[in-house]
Amino acid sequence: MNRMETDVIVIGGGATGAGTIRDLALRGVKTILIEKNDIASGATGRNHGLLHSGARYAVKDPESAQECIRENQILRKIAWHCIEDTGGLFVTLPEDDPAYHSLLLDGCKHAGIPAKEISIKKALQLEPNLNPHILSAITVPDGTIDPFRLTSANMLDAIERGAKVLTHTKVVSVIKKGTEIIGVLCRNIHGEEIEIYAKMVVNAAGVWGQEICNLAGIDLPMFPSKGSMLIIDYRINGVVINRCRPPADGDIIVPGDTVSLIGTTSKEIPYDKIDEYTIDDDEIDVLLSDGEKMIPNVRFTRALRAYCGVRPLVAVSGEKQGRNISRGIVLIDHKERDGIDGLVTISGGKLMTYRLMAEKTADLVCSKIGVKAKCKTDKIPLPGSEHKFTSRRTMKKFSGIPDSVVGSTFYRHGQRLRNILTTDKKNYRLICECEMVTEGEIEYAIKKLNVHDLVDLRRRTRIGMGPCQGELCAYRGSGLFHEYGGASPEGSVELLNDFLEERWKGIKPVLWGDGLRESEFTYWIYEGLFGMSNLKNNKKGLKQ
Amino acid sequence: MIKLENISFDHCIKCTVCTMYCPVAQATHLFPGPKQSGPDAERLRIKNPELVDSSLKYCTNCKRCEIACPSNVKIAEIIQKAKWNYVKIHWFRPRDFFMSRTDLVGSITTIVSTITNFVVNLKITRAFMHIFLKIPFTRQFPPYAKGTFKKLYEKKISKTQRPFEKRVAFFHGCYINYNNHSLGQDLIRVMNAMGYGVDIVKEKCCGVPLIANGYIEKAKKNAKFNIAHLSKTETPIVSTSSSCSYALLHEYKEFLEMDNSGYISRLDYITKFIYDEFSRGNIPKMKPLGIRAAYHSPCHLERMGGVMYTLGVLKKIPGLELVILNSECCGIAGTYGFKNENYEISQAIGSALFKLIDNANPEFVITDCETCTMQIEMNTKYKVLHPVTLIAMALKE
Amino acid sequence: MIYDCVIIGGGLAGLTCGIKCAKEGLHTVIISGGMNSLHFSSGSIDLAGYTEKGAIVKKPFEYIKDLIKSNKEHPYTKIGLSSIKKSIDFFIDELASDNIPLNNNGEYNHFRVTPLGAVKPTYLSQESVYSSKGKEIIKSKGKIAILNFKGFRDYYAEQTAANIKNHPIFQDIEITVGSISLPYYHKTEKNLHEFRSIDISRIFETEKYLPRIAEEIKRAAGDAVAISLPAFIGIKNYKSIRQKLEAMTGKFIYEIPTLPPSILGLRIDHALKDRFFSYGGEYIAGEKIVSGKINKNEVESISTLNEGRLSEIKSKYYVLATGSFFSGGLQSRLEGISETIFDLATNGTNPRNKWYSKNFFDKKSHPFLNFGVVTDKNLNAKTKEGKAIKNLLCAGAIIGGYNPIKEGCGGGVAIASAYKCAELIAKDLKK
Ligand SMILES: Cc1cc2nc3c(=O)[nH]c(=O)nc-3n(C[C@H](O)[C@H](O)[C@H](O)COP(=O)(O)OP(=O)(O)OC[C@H]3O[C@@H](n4cnc5c(N)ncnc54)[C@H](O)[C@@H]3O)c2cc1C
Ligand SMILES: Cc1cc2nc3c(=O)[nH]c(=O)nc-3n(C[C@H](O)[C@H](O)[C@H](O)COP(=O)(O)OP(=O)(O)OC[C@H]3O[C@@H](n4cnc5c(N)ncnc54)[C@H](O)[C@@H]3O)c2cc1C
Ligand code: SF4
Ligand code: SF4
Repeated sequence: MNRMETDVIVIGGGATGAGTIRDLALRGVKTILIEKNDIASGATGRNHGLLHSGARYAVKDPESAQECIRENQILRKIAWHCIEDTGGLFVTLPEDDPAYHSLLLDGCKHAGIPAKEISIKKALQLEPNLNPHILSAITVPDGTIDPFRLTSANMLDAIERGAKVLTHTKVVSVIKKGTEIIGVLCRNIHGEEIEIYAKMVVNAAGVWGQEICNLAGIDLPMFPSKGSMLIIDYRINGVVINRCRPPADGDIIVPGDTVSLIGTTSKEIPYDKIDEYTIDDDEIDVLLSDGEKMIPNVRFTRALRAYCGVRPLVAVSGEKQGRNISRGIVLIDHKERDGIDGLVTISGGKLMTYRLMAEKTADLVCSKIGVKAKCKTDKIPLPGSEHKFTSRRTMKKFSGIPDSVVGSTFYRHGQRLRNILTTDKKNYRLICECEMVTEGEIEYAIKKLNVHDLVDLRRRTRIGMGPCQGELCAYRGSGLFHEYGGASPEGSVELLNDFLEERWKGIKPVLWGDGLRESEFTYWIYEGLFGMSNLKNNKKGLKQ
Repeated sequence: MIKLENISFDHCIKCTVCTMYCPVAQATHLFPGPKQSGPDAERLRIKNPELVDSSLKYCTNCKRCEIACPSNVKIAEIIQKAKWNYVKIHWFRPRDFFMSRTDLVGSITTIVSTITNFVVNLKITRAFMHIFLKIPFTRQFPPYAKGTFKKLYEKKISKTQRPFEKRVAFFHGCYINYNNHSLGQDLIRVMNAMGYGVDIVKEKCCGVPLIANGYIEKAKKNAKFNIAHLSKTETPIVSTSSSCSYALLHEYKEFLEMDNSGYISRLDYITKFIYDEFSRGNIPKMKPLGIRAAYHSPCHLERMGGVMYTLGVLKKIPGLELVILNSECCGIAGTYGFKNENYEISQAIGSALFKLIDNANPEFVITDCETCTMQIEMNTKYKVLHPVTLIAMALKE
Repeated sequence: MIYDCVIIGGGLAGLTCGIKCAKEGLHTVIISGGMNSLHFSSGSIDLAGYTEKGAIVKKPFEYIKDLIKSNKEHPYTKIGLSSIKKSIDFFIDELASDNIPLNNNGEYNHFRVTPLGAVKPTYLSQESVYSSKGKEIIKSKGKIAILNFKGFRDYYAEQTAANIKNHPIFQDIEITVGSISLPYYHKTEKNLHEFRSIDISRIFETEKYLPRIAEEIKRAAGDAVAISLPAFIGIKNYKSIRQKLEAMTGKFIYEIPTLPPSILGLRIDHALKDRFFSYGGEYIAGEKIVSGKINKNEVESISTLNEGRLSEIKSKYYVLATGSFFSGGLQSRLEGISETIFDLATNGTNPRNKWYSKNFFDKKSHPFLNFGVVTDKNLNAKTKEGKAIKNLLCAGAIIGGYNPIKEGCGGGVAIASAYKCAELIAKDLKK
């Protein structure tokens, strides 16, 4: 068995966990992060990536609203390459209660969110695809944030400062000494066990935090709430569109990178169903018909996929009723709550408050292990966001490579593009043609960004996330995976199989129209032409 | 802004077929092809208009990609629209100005045609054009005729048309007006033989070269003029140019987004009109020609679905042995091949067609398009004729 | 003008039907809205590859004979064994006269190797995929080199090699992997690493670089007796290019398909079009049929739509060969499945969540692949009211009731149904 030692163990490779190890690394604390799948594979990679202005909470939850606007402004500075300043609109539809409009304006004013009423004409100029029958519109400083890049950049920085990240490694039990937790026992995908000892363990396992607590003999009930979202083939809107009414199903359309997302539904689900991620046809119908009310084009556009995430709502002091459960940041010192030393749980909050959550956690951890250093994450930019460049200037620098390729790489990796693009022709050839992912980017990800399979690769690069959902690039990606030493040739074919299966999960619920045509085509290629299922016969044949 | 009508890129299933059939992508790897320049890049350009590539300029707007696409993606149209954004900043202008004003240049040069024809073919002039206007040294220009067809019609032809009761309006286009009067005269003979008198309409250049060179506002102005005058007519309207027809029928509406409903149901490319007449039994008396000719289908006619009618008409000409050439682009694509940076590509594109023609070794080549005619005549030893000219040749006196 | 036969859709089915009709002297036109699925296919014709349970079929005709007895709705049942056999012979003859000889293994299926190194049963293949010489080499356990072009992104030889080594056929054969580099060939050449198979096949077509490529092959293949290349050794004159390369290298050349476009399929497409033209057929590309008029169970006319104007086309017979969803013959919407031109009856009537299986590579494949138009026993399309349309026949992937991938019968059904349609039409019109 392997044995490791460190100062702090962080369980969970979502934004919160990644932010925590970065924060600690900046304070000189040694950490190891353990993630059972890949980074951002939990709630972090399963939301609509809204960089809240706080306006969505301004009426009901002023505290969250203030948190949001503060973090919003910080992230724009330290993580500009993960963020797009799209701006946001709150629009009132004829069927909505017009009174909410002024409630919202008041709430925003109170929380310090710069919200402004604009004319309908202006709103339509800003967002030409908007339903022209809206009654009023308010602008707010909403934006979008890419969760994969954000998490990856946090980890990259932490690693560069000495932290360790173990992905595809699951915490299976905690190591206890009396009432103190002194480490964890993990198992990786190869079945190897690793014992890690540390002064403190941070439970940043999101909705799975309940299980971690169970391992430690602590009861921390969570009330999982599932939200489903729909991805639309291209950006039908450039500005975040919110319905001006109390938050409800299907009331937001977020432009994210090359696509738009319609969000979300909300369904309480039993805890034992949190890993199922099934999307029901009625959820799709709700999202489409409500989305269509804000942007009529929705109905005519290809739906690329549907997916869902699970919000962890924590019952801090044992309430069982949904309403009273906190939606804010929950930081629990289990010594205080349960008399168990060496463990803190961080949960709740939002993707975009990850930094604040990390700061609070790191403060608590540091106070326990006697580290005096203060938080610096609000000042020091993330890797890729070091200096602000414009994409135009960057394109000039790489003249010879198509602007669309340089621009896309720049959009994804910010300043780190200098570690990725070169004028070598093999380097900048396209592997994923829909999202303009180059071979150089894939090489960089495989070598530098802790990638184990094609699904991981997708999270770092967007390969296979465009309209064809991997029809061409999946095969190329698998070939390169072998070429760059990530897998054996046979292994790379298995990765290809797994990748297409993973894509299928999200395609199935929206299988109609051009999406179905695309799938028929992909199926013909990989099953008809390439004979994926026939590979099983190869081995079977061998046995006979 | 994304309009509903412009979202055909959303249907693309990334099959790569368009790129396979793009003559430019075939001739040069400077052009990444319709798939990447069209539907792929469109999603990025919607995200950020700065992500527009300079390589768009290589597209000739031949529409072959659209014909090949199994998903009905208006690939060429997407590319032309994206081009404008790029064009505004980057293209060399004086030459494009000169070349896209076919009517302006035409009306000046036809007045002094002998001198023009002499001057444009002088070595020194060509060197000047090569360096300053970026027009290739070896490029031959179509000779300009003496005076305009319009004048000719008004002076000599119009009175001969009076006796006919059935009438068609003729959109003659710049080529007939300035360069090739005889095709116009052929048309009149054929129409007369079929019992139609020919009127001509007030017209300006259809705008194809303007669109190709990114002068959209000017193109819209011309379109407005033409729409107004064509809409005033009450008879069927014909055009002998496949490109003009394509502009009048398609580009005005789909690309310039103008309302051409005032005439659209009455306007046809000439062979469609003749085909319909033939089908009704109105076939003029023809004598056997005894000619072996190869037919080349121009890109825009294919896109309009007009090849079927041209072939139908040609097949009715007695004694015409027809070799139908495999569909290939000639490479000239309007003003495209007249530019330095495109010259080689243009020739490379055309080479497949030239080879086909050489192999067929006909007496004449037949095609519907004037720029194809120039390109083929410059690059092969064959004389090129318009389908209407062939009918005229077959007419019994 | 009234045609004898208008064929809607110019794929494997439409072209085969067109050739037969034109050859019978009928005035035939094919109208095709876009390029067909041959552009992506293996170029091998699958007749019957797998049983209902997924086992490999050894003798396809025997299998079909049994199928006809047990499955009344299968297109093969409606076509009948003798027409199926005739159609295959006809197809072989036609392609042979266009320099694309197709080989078969008598009454047995043979195998083709896929890029992933899987081994699939099929019935007819080009010489570079199946030939007696290739069979001999495998029998005598000759060494094989699997080659790729350096920097070609649409094929990965290592995967092929690693996986076929697991297959009993290749178990004791020495297999190596190598790569060859492409000669610099064009002035404006830019990024060779973004070449598609078609670009490379065009380099082969020039024949200029064959000696250099042959040298490269010899270097990379060492003492192997056979080599495999990603399929791109030319389209039109592939046969002679392959012969030349074999002579220059002294090695047997095998071909493996690539990501689209698939040159192997393209060769068939080109050859079929050539055949069709040679019989005087008319082919209208880029025209979509948008609607059709049906009156008293007979199609009166069909229409194209250009610039907002409908143009009618009339014919004595119409053949619907518009392919499945992918080519646009069928359409799926949230509300359901429909046929796009005539709104005919289809067998895809179940709700949306019953169109697919749980896994992408599911043992059961996917129900949507079975969807298509409902026909009567003579392949006449049926209206939603269940009436057969007298002069509208169906061919190819538009026909419902079979799963071309799961059963491994896509090409076979397309050819046989097309041939059957042509036979029926010719018989009737020549009366
Ligand atoms: C539908 C939906 C929409 C949302 N929209 C937004 C939005 O627009 N903007 C916004 O700011 N926020 C949004 N959120 C909230 C946001 O997604 C989450 O608050 C945030 O991502 C939580 O991050 P996390 O790192 O705490 O948890 P997670 O991302 O869930 O990370 C927990 C990680 O722990 C790992 N783990 C679990 N058990 C173990 C174990 N035993 N061993 C090792 N690792 C383990 C998991 O694999 C997982 O990766 C949304 C949430 C949902 C559900
Ligand atoms: C990727 C792929 C790989 C394959 N591999 C193999 C293989 O290895 N072996 C094998 O035996 N089979 C294979 N097949 C199956 C076989 O090729 C098909 O079953 C067969 O080609 C179907 O032919 P088709 O003519 O019916 O349809 P298609 O080839 O799809 O052709 C239909 C044509 O109709 C046109 N069309 C559609 N609607 C209209 C309209 N309204 N108006 C005018 N035209 C229209 C389309 O543009 C298209 O050109 C493969 C298929 C695919 C897609
Ligand atoms: S219009 Fe012609 S040149 Fe332009 S992309 Fe299409 S096929 Fe190529
Ligand atoms: S042919 Fe059409 S569907 Fe295929 S890649 Fe080109 S645009 Fe897309």
